[in-house]
Amino acid sequence: MDTIADFIANFTTAVDFQDPVELRAQSVLVELPEWDSLAALGVIVMCDMEYGVTITGSDLKGCNSLGDVFALVAARKA
Amino acid sequence: MAQALLANIRFAGLASCVPRRAVSNLDCAPEKRLERERLVRNIGIQTRRVCETGQAFSDLAERAANELIAGLGWAKGDIDALIVVTQSPDYVIPATAIILQDRLGLAHTTLAFDINLGCSGYPYGLYVLGSMLSAGCIRRGLVVVGDKSSNPESLDNGLLSLFGDAATVTALAHDESAPRMYFDFGSDGSGYEAIIIPAGGQRVPLRPEHLERLPGKDGIPRKGTDVILDGPAILNFSIREVPPAVEALLAFAACSRDQVDYFVFHQANRMINETIRRKLALPAEKVPASLHDFGNTSSASVPVTVTVRLREALLSGPRRLLMSGFGVGLSWASCIVDLDRPVLSPLIEA
Repeated sequence: MDTIADFIANFTTAVDFQDPVELRAQSVLVELPEWDSLAALGVIVMCDMEYGVTITGSDLKGCNSLGDVFALVAARKA
Repeated sequence: MAQALLANIRFAGLASCVPRRAVSNLDCAPEKRLERERLVRNIGIQTRRVCETGQAFSDLAERAANELIAGLGWAKGDIDALIVVTQSPDYVIPATAIILQDRLGLAHTTLAFDINLGCSGYPYGLYVLGSMLSAGCIRRGLVVVGDKSSNPESLDNGLLSLFGDAATVTALAHDESAPRMYFDFGSDGSGYEAIIIPAGGQRVPLRPEHLERLPGKDGIPRKGTDVILDGPAILNFSIREVPPAVEALLAFAACSRDQVDYFVFHQANRMINETIRRKLALPAEKVPASLHDFGNTSSASVPVTVTVRLREALLSGPRRLLMSGFGVGLSWASCIVDLDRPVLSPLIEA
């Protein structure tokens, strides 16, 4: 499993932010400038293709922060 | 496992018809431009063809059918079967296929009925018609496939930017020298809510309040008769089911990837289609797309892609296609079909 820094880099690409955003594990998903349905699809694809992990829309709704998504993927990959 | 092969069926021709009216997803207020560019970049859809008010799916189908019949040189009295695969019928009842029998001037001896399927519908239509033709009693048939999925009145931006309208007509003929066609089918009704029009059927009969827009769980106001899409559920389903179904079909047909000239997938959105392509390790040049110019045209998306992207290649010599549809139901189906210079009309605009 990647480090959180690698995961954040992949997450940033997957969401396709319009403007540069500085992300941390503590970043709250719903406060991100482009946390919308398109971003959710991008993150689901990224988790599948980069980590071989299936996450659902409900999984993402249950995550508060970017670190929560990382922990979920790490747990499923373990 | 629902797999099947069909013998004695020749893919005789195909015509696709789209509305003349083109709508751009980049046609927006300047302050929305960057947001729309991000949308287009990710879903891969810039332009869609949208029916005018009053223009029905069957109007596109009628135009395509008449052009195809003329191109084939078939006498209308020799067409034995007409199947319509759509979720955009002219009426709740009767079936659109029967109305089209009359509008096309086909004989009263024509077999005609509808099949209620969306994005997975093209392989199903080929299989049902092909099954009837295989024995040879019924010799020639048409399968009309497509939908009018656009809903310009919708307040759901995700939906508005996705769907285009199209109708296609494919002609099959009994021919004992034709190579076999191979099919693989799947259904998962547990996901029926992922793409749904909730009101207007027997389960939730239409009431006056269904014609008012009320906020859904996502806050978007919708009528009860509007389509609701669960994007993440559709994505999860598509990338879970389609790649192994394609692999299973290739194994069933004892066919390698290299023996397939083109893989034509339902045009869902760029993220779904690219993920399926990458999971199957298919080179981009063997996976044609029509998303950018026509959007998601439901069950018509596979034959529309064949018309607009493969016509020249198919007219130049025999080609093997693997075609795969997936979506509402949840339902999916794939087929391997050999085409030997069929009649292929250029794209029709109506």
